[in-house]
Amino acid sequence: MHNRRNFLKLSAGAAIGGMAAALPSTSLAKECQAIKWDESHDVIIVGSGFAGLSAALNTKRQGIKSVLVLEKMQVIGGNSAINGGWLAIPKNPIQLAQGIEDDSPEELVKDQIISGRGMQNEAALRQIANRALDAYELCIGTGVKFRDSFNIQVGGHNKARAIRTQHGTGGDITTKLYEAGVREGVEYRLQHYIEDFIMDGQEIVGVKVRKNYHFPDITTGSTIYIKANKAVILANGGFARNMKLREVVDPSLDPTLDCTNALGATGEVTLTAMAHGALPVHMNLIQTGHWGSPDEGGFGWSNALLSIGWHQGAAISVLNGKRFMDERADRKTCSEAIMKNRYPDNSPAYPIVLFNYEKYKDDDRVVRALRDKMAWKLDSLDEIASKFNIPAAELKRTINEYNGHVSARKDPLFNRKMDTAEVLTGPFVVSRIWPKVHYCMGGLKTDLAARVIDGRSMSPIKKLYAIGEVTGGIHGEARLSSTSCLECLAMGIVVSETIKSDAQA
Amino acid sequence: MNKFIVTLLLGLALSSGVYAGELVKMKGKTQGRTNHEFIYQDGCQGCHQGSGKKNATDSACVECHGEINSIPVDESMLAIPEAHPHKSLHYNQGASCLACHGEHEKKAPVCAECHRTWFGEM
Repeated sequence: MHNRRNFLKLSAGAAIGGMAAALPSTSLAKECQAIKWDESHDVIIVGSGFAGLSAALNTKRQGIKSVLVLEKMQVIGGNSAINGGWLAIPKNPIQLAQGIEDDSPEELVKDQIISGRGMQNEAALRQIANRALDAYELCIGTGVKFRDSFNIQVGGHNKARAIRTQHGTGGDITTKLYEAGVREGVEYRLQHYIEDFIMDGQEIVGVKVRKNYHFPDITTGSTIYIKANKAVILANGGFARNMKLREVVDPSLDPTLDCTNALGATGEVTLTAMAHGALPVHMNLIQTGHWGSPDEGGFGWSNALLSIGWHQGAAISVLNGKRFMDERADRKTCSEAIMKNRYPDNSPAYPIVLFNYEKYKDDDRVVRALRDKMAWKLDSLDEIASKFNIPAAELKRTINEYNGHVSARKDPLFNRKMDTAEVLTGPFVVSRIWPKVHYCMGGLKTDLAARVIDGRSMSPIKKLYAIGEVTGGIHGEARLSSTSCLECLAMGIVVSETIKSDAQA
Repeated sequence: MNKFIVTLLLGLALSSGVYAGELVKMKGKTQGRTNHEFIYQDGCQGCHQGSGKKNATDSACVECHGEINSIPVDESMLAIPEAHPHKSLHYNQGASCLACHGEHEKKAPVCAECHRTWFGEM
């Protein structure tokens, strides 16, 4: 045992120390074999979203020689590549040009404390907010374009501080960070799936990888071992696409709920880290959006379309043609009300949302939704009843009654605020709704410097770091819009500094 | 691989506006693309370095077709100009050919995971 590094155990889970002590030396010898490393790198990064890409570029810029990014999917960018491209930056130049000069990192933290409902990690949020301008500069420096003069106040923020990428997608950022990484010598590999970590007690020494893996078939590809000289950074994102895991930690997340995330957000690397002692926190805190449409994939256009629908229109159950909720209530209230709409076999009876077409026919949100067939223009209530199999007489009675409530500016049924509601006369824009799972606030516990904490010792697992959605306990009960991109980019900078100082220690 | 044949075939493919060859029985039960017939004559190793299920990477595709951003797409076929799969706003050069193209089966491109009405099977 004097040269333990040559006798690392290959199988998953069991820690060398505990198991070995209980076993006679002969059986230990049989179980162990020397690892033949296929290659070695200074830093291995798992995942290629905002967090992984930022970490890779910044680690390289810290003077680390060999940086390898492993991505299991066939595209670079993970969930970040398809997200909305919102970035909360206090004191960003557009904000200042708008004359908003009273914002600060501390103001952002104040908002996040409210949404975190006591479960957030203030010190971590403060550290991230303080690096916001660095994250912004990282983007600008790699050629990311933000919308001219566009800086707005999004839900839960007390100031207009959210800027948005040119095309309204995180892909505007991931593609630029990736291309900068390629130029600066970061090595990226697609279709590399992490099968296991190779541990030496409380230190990670490398990863067991399935190369040329073809998601989601685990029998594809072949196994290789990659040694990590200085660090393994977990930047593998959340687990919102792991239907079993999310239902185990939050039984209210019905399997009929689709997900806004990219297909790869399945969290197996998070589970592997846990199997090696990493402490999970807040795993049951998972954010859903009640604004999903079953007629499109991922995040889609529905959220934007329904910003008209909730205010100016009405939500109707297809089961009985009646309204069933206050369309302007919060996410949780609406999600629960929507999900009660079920056929006798328990399958979803997707409710519809309708509003007047004429006034909004040139609105981007409507044009896109109709173009992509996740909403329909229908001229009459009869057409709606026939298309969605709703009892026609009941639908007409409901809309007639609703129009009366609109005129009276009072909703006796659900007490909805009716200030923006419009009398529904048709033709109509009609879409279907069902909630979607959106973001995992929970994940691996890390210290402020991004070191992963082992729950058994409550001290860092040596050389193992985690940043971005894979980490937990930062946002608390609810994450605010436009803060995840910031967190990932900023923590990519922080972790690169930690690795440099840890490697020198 | 014969560079002359490659150049010739590539030229034909572009001039006739063909995107990917039709899927036909190629070798035993294995289906393949008509425009890749000449590769099958050399055996499977041209694309699979190792056994069939284990190794197929972009390198064989890139060798003949070039890097993703340089491969032309008939823009008149796009639902909207931004829906350019070879210059994707989400992935650009960071996409594997295999994310959208299957050699032995029809496959929906990765874009179709969200943009369901823009892209059919290829």
